[in-house]
Amino acid sequence: MTHKLLKIKDNDVLKTTNDFLRHLLSSGKIQALLVPQSTPSKKVVYPVLIADPKKLHADIIAPILPVATATMVSKMTKVQPPSKPVGVVMRSCQIRALIELVKLNQASLTNIVIIGIDCPGTFPTNVYAGFPEKKTPTHFLLETMIKKTDEAEQYLRSACQVCKDPIPTHADIVLGFYGTDIEKEIIVEVHSEIGKDLIKEIPLEDEKEGKNRENAVKEIREEKTKKRIVFLKEKEGIKGIEKVAEFFDKCVNCHNCRQACPICYCKECLFDSAVFDAEAYKFIRRAENKGLFKMPSDALLFQLGRMNHMILSCVECGLCEQACPNNIPLMDVFIPTAENAQKEFDYHPGKDTTEKIPMIVYRENEFLEVGEK
Amino acid sequence: MSEEKKDHMKQDFEPKIVGFLCNWCSYAGADLAGTSRIQYPPNVRIIRVMCSGSVDSMYILRALLEGADGVFVGGCHPGDCHYIDGNYKARRRMVLLENILGTLGLEKERVWLRWISASEGQKFADTMKEMTEAIRKLGPNPIAKHWNL
Repeated sequence: MTHKLLKIKDNDVLKTTNDFLRHLLSSGKIQALLVPQSTPSKKVVYPVLIADPKKLHADIIAPILPVATATMVSKMTKVQPPSKPVGVVMRSCQIRALIELVKLNQASLTNIVIIGIDCPGTFPTNVYAGFPEKKTPTHFLLETMIKKTDEAEQYLRSACQVCKDPIPTHADIVLGFYGTDIEKEIIVEVHSEIGKDLIKEIPLEDEKEGKNRENAVKEIREEKTKKRIVFLKEKEGIKGIEKVAEFFDKCVNCHNCRQACPICYCKECLFDSAVFDAEAYKFIRRAENKGLFKMPSDALLFQLGRMNHMILSCVECGLCEQACPNNIPLMDVFIPTAENAQKEFDYHPGKDTTEKIPMIVYRENEFLEVGEK
Repeated sequence: MSEEKKDHMKQDFEPKIVGFLCNWCSYAGADLAGTSRIQYPPNVRIIRVMCSGSVDSMYILRALLEGADGVFVGGCHPGDCHYIDGNYKARRRMVLLENILGTLGLEKERVWLRWISASEGQKFADTMKEMTEAIRKLGPNPIAKHWNL
């Protein structure tokens, strides 16, 4: 791994990072770049696939994640991966999701160059679009990063507040904001040969001491872990059918959460299938069983069923929660269940493409107490 | 309600158990129990499936949410699966389901996985007795009275 420094020019972080990205794209070594870029309304920042360097006006700081970037990479690579390298700028949770999708045969890393960014967290799409402060969310966030205050914390999505790991792993190039003075410079970490080749011609300075970065990364990880422990403790209360039923009471079974989830990739979801269509007498029989019957039915079955299908790969990006039209704080349940289930199988989603998804492998001499007594 | 009365109610209560039995071992085991005229509690409603590995967690959850007091999954002994490794996968799936039910406090004790071979009619009958009594002790499934799920 090499450490370099990208000096901030004209006190403009975005201009500097955009010059850097434009350099990558103009070098001809990559044919396109998937970067977060504002729509003309400036209200939302989407992953935008850019082929023409002149059209690149990215905003990699913008604290917003309207859709799963991993899903976009999956769409782009599933049928046939690119023949020449394509760069993708991603946050850590989305890189983790992409790794899971690769393992699920839903995406390919062939000719995909991952440019990871340190993630200070994101705001809900609606908060970002109607940001109450006088500045743009990007400038607001940048200021808090320069002043090193936690003013942005109040706007963060709950998933981001207790983020598993805001530092990208598995990236070819990492643009680091932690362990540096973002007013002056950004750290460029290079983790692969292709990354090395890409930045060869870009004017970067050598970093003298790497210790700062190391310590800052350690610090932010520890801080998030601490918050996570508090969060897990707080949410222990959602236990038992009374509480669980109450928690999902607002679920109208719209399946938006599934749509937003980077892991839920099934083309034909069981919960959209005809299994849930039945003759009237079957509905009436179910009503007779309990005396009454709420419609739409099977909302909790959907939630628990979906959980069983994807929780081991859950990267805790919180997009399900953001997608919920009725603001069910889904992470309150998904983070604790993911934590426990992944621990049970000693599985770390998004860590490594070679780590097999627990449901497709087994060992003969494991969990021997299950099935016997 | 007094504790005594509660206990009494539990004694009277007849658990409803949904049983998913694999075609090649457990279902044949249940069949053997029947043809051998071994008595076992009629509380289990058997559904034949091709393999314990084909039992999606959703089937189990659906039964529990609709008010079944217990769900039983029966498969071939480890190493004996007709499809080589379906039961090993069923075991992992059961571990995951139990883990999730545990985190959400949803009485994972109501879900059982057991290995019963085609020759183990007696074991099937014994397991059904054991499970019926264990569920009777637990009492009715508290989910049953929730209609708003």
